[in-house]
Amino acid sequence: MPYILNTENDRQAMLRAIDIESAEKLFSFIPASIKAKEYLLDKGCSEFSALQKIKAQAAKNTTVNEKKSFLGAGWYDHYVPAAVFDIISKPQFLTAYTPYQPECSQGILQAIYEYQTYMCLLTGMDVSNASLFDGASALAESVLMGLRIAKKNKVLVLKGINPQYENVLSTYLGGTTYIIEEVKTIESAISKLDDETACFVFQTPDFFGVINEPDEVISECKKYGIITVNVVNPVSLGILKTPGERDVDIACGEGQPLGAGLNYGGPGFGFMTANIKYVRQMPGRIVGKTLDLDGKTAYCLTLQTREQHIRREKATSNICSNQSLNAITAGVYLALMGSDGLSNVANICYDRAHYLYNRLGEIKDVRFSVKGEFLNEFVWNVKDAFDVLACMSDKGVYAGYLLGNDYPDMKDSVLTCCTEKNSKADIDFFVNKLKEVLDGV
Amino acid sequence: MGCKVIFDITMREKKNSYLPEFSCGYALPEKFKRKELCLPELGELDVIRHYNKLSNKNFSVDTHFYPLGSCTMKYNPKINDYIAGLENFSALHPLQPIDDVQGILEVLYTFQELLCSLTGMSAFTFQPSSGAQGELTGMLIARKFHELNGRRPSKVIVPDTAHGTNPASAAMAGFDTVIVKSNDNGLVDINSLKDIMDESVAAIMLTNPNTLGLFEKDILKIRELADKAGALMYYDGANFNALMGVTTPRMMGFDIIHLNLHKSFSTPHGCGGPGAGVVGVTEKLKDFLPVPIVVKDSGRYRLNYDMKKSVGKLRAFYGNISVLLRAYTYILRLGGDGVKRVSENAVLNANYIKEKLKDDFKAPYDDICMHEVVFSCINQKEKGITALDIAKRLIDRDIHPPTMYFPLLVKEALMVEPTETESKETLDYFIDIMRKINSEVETNPSIIKNAPVTMPVKRVDEVRAVRDMDFRWHKDGD
Ligand SMILES: Cc1ncc(COP(=O)(O)O)c(C=O)c1O
Repeated sequence: MPYILNTENDRQAMLRAIDIESAEKLFSFIPASIKAKEYLLDKGCSEFSALQKIKAQAAKNTTVNEKKSFLGAGWYDHYVPAAVFDIISKPQFLTAYTPYQPECSQGILQAIYEYQTYMCLLTGMDVSNASLFDGASALAESVLMGLRIAKKNKVLVLKGINPQYENVLSTYLGGTTYIIEEVKTIESAISKLDDETACFVFQTPDFFGVINEPDEVISECKKYGIITVNVVNPVSLGILKTPGERDVDIACGEGQPLGAGLNYGGPGFGFMTANIKYVRQMPGRIVGKTLDLDGKTAYCLTLQTREQHIRREKATSNICSNQSLNAITAGVYLALMGSDGLSNVANICYDRAHYLYNRLGEIKDVRFSVKGEFLNEFVWNVKDAFDVLACMSDKGVYAGYLLGNDYPDMKDSVLTCCTEKNSKADIDFFVNKLKEVLDGV
Repeated sequence: MGCKVIFDITMREKKNSYLPEFSCGYALPEKFKRKELCLPELGELDVIRHYNKLSNKNFSVDTHFYPLGSCTMKYNPKINDYIAGLENFSALHPLQPIDDVQGILEVLYTFQELLCSLTGMSAFTFQPSSGAQGELTGMLIARKFHELNGRRPSKVIVPDTAHGTNPASAAMAGFDTVIVKSNDNGLVDINSLKDIMDESVAAIMLTNPNTLGLFEKDILKIRELADKAGALMYYDGANFNALMGVTTPRMMGFDIIHLNLHKSFSTPHGCGGPGAGVVGVTEKLKDFLPVPIVVKDSGRYRLNYDMKKSVGKLRAFYGNISVLLRAYTYILRLGGDGVKRVSENAVLNANYIKEKLKDDFKAPYDDICMHEVVFSCINQKEKGITALDIAKRLIDRDIHPPTMYFPLLVKEALMVEPTETESKETLDYFIDIMRKINSEVETNPSIIKNAPVTMPVKRVDEVRAVRDMDFRWHKDGD
């Protein structure tokens, strides 16, 4: 029997100690009518057989390493140094739970405190929580936080938010009477701000890759006491202007680019940083620094009266388990990379993406409908984009994400991303294959 | 022996050169640039030493007995991690063409079928990343289900023993929570339930066994009452480890359930996450699940987004895939016979501890318990020693403390969940230590009050942390 140490003798001894004949009897107060009459699954198997079976299934996948991948759209294939895996596989990180008992969890707590600091330094904000589930739910939680602070009813969203995040936001608000309104331009955003507006939400670089700077909206929001929420890609903050410099109230996003790998879309983690004056409205765990009885530096979970285990239905969120290991991963990744390493990643992404953009510009059937400076991702247009992408995949290139999936009016638009993993040769390969496809070769 | 904050380690000049040096000649215009980014530049060995020092300060399942009630800190088999790390799973982008990801979709589809067999449910979503997010999903499904039936019930019932996430999740979904009291046996009081169960109730959330570790024997009566009122039954699967293969949530009458894969299904807790709180529903609620779900048409797997009644999405993409892969591996390994043995052994282990400790620590409920047992330290409290003190003393004896002060119904509660993966030898050690601590209450209370003394820090001043509000490192002088 895998994973059970007790022998039949042990079990018999224990049953005798509790004066019961058989383990079955322990379940005797479950009504017979609702007891399973037979095994609910096939019999178990050896480790070797399980491995064979699952490896056979794994073999049916084609990985991004087998083709040239230019897929991004909210989930990025960055290089992760080998040392990251070593550290986060340590049993004392991997198999511990939430550090409820600070005395035997100082390592976890300090690692999270350092993570919180890293996120503050990156985003230019005052305070970070210990992680949320993912970028999308982090946005939803940020908006809920904004609604609590502003005590008003309307959420204004600037077009260009990751469409999956928008979907999650409306799911999270599905049980409430709050109103979400989308505006397409900065001008219309300004015209829609009013005394009913609680939150203004924007993403930069936006989902189409454009580095948008809605500075005027942000300063206008201040006049109304509207909470500004900025969705950001943490890697972009290696070089781009920060939420702190923009003077927003809350920054949030997906932490996956910081060392998590791809894993078919999860786990990454959601991060949230904010202005210190709102810390009591933050959701999720927060680690604080304090002292022990001897006056020595120590860390512990803090401001817990915000949380569900104390405040129950009045808590700032229902979140309990979060994505700690991925948050710690981000800390390890940033420790290894340093400022120099992280800005290098962002610079290389910029460099490669612009090289690809310019090479695509050589192709007469390619157009660019979305304007504006970009970092690692951009939109290009081609007739019959759906078919073009399929042909490119057949030729060994994941050329990008079809925006028509989310925007009916963008069915010929492709969102394409470069990371430091795409070499110049890969990009040239991309361009050559695209030419072949468009020439019908 | 303290450990420097990573930001105080001596800076290195050397770059770690993890990335190719090469440029196509493009650079970001100045006006988009941030102010200087000040992260420390460290060598790889600096970082490795730092985190190794940190890791050595933690208790974990792999190093310590960890009977943290309600969290099911069972052993996390290593084959699960190995499988999750296979490149053919880990190097998949979530937006790759469906034909290139048939393997992972097959895994998800097969896993879904296994979970359906094990729970009696008809379909699952893998999106929720934790139990709490599963609860929110479930409550949103309940809301939408009633709405499409032209009803707008406003309340959700939760027992006084419920975990905090239950009322918090119901509230997030826009419901008012109503508390149903427990009776003297620690079970939902049926008469109180009758008084509050009416057509304004959308759902009742229960965990079974409940958080006192007791099986809700009247579950079918509760089902009847819910049915009469038109309310749905939500199963908080945090305690499913007691019942796997013995009964199913469906047989118990539940409509919507979540399972904590990071509990019953052995995926590692990772200092608090990532987990997975997969949600299963009965046939009539299938179309309400978040999009997309994995379907199979003539031998080919795909993601179905075409679900008109869906509550929407709970996260980007499909779920914490590497957590799901671990749980899938676990369930294949165990099979139908294995899961039943898990529950039998988990329950036996808990009852053994209860029997052996009930003379020293008050066990407020007489009945046989399920996979966990709640003790009350009120007798010790009268002598000046609290549940917290006892928990801290356990740390000195190399045992991670049980869950403290939960459920709220039990005063000075210590909630012990040994799990099936612990041996009688370990349980006997725990029992012995607990008895010794109880005699120390008389003979040497100060050793308990001062515990722990074997850790890198003594008792931590949590009140001060709230007052100081120090959530991040600052450069000297900042
Ligand atoms: C009974 C019970 N319900 C719900 C939860 C919430 O689960 P999670 O932490 O995965 O959100 C827990 C976990 O602590 C629990 O013990």
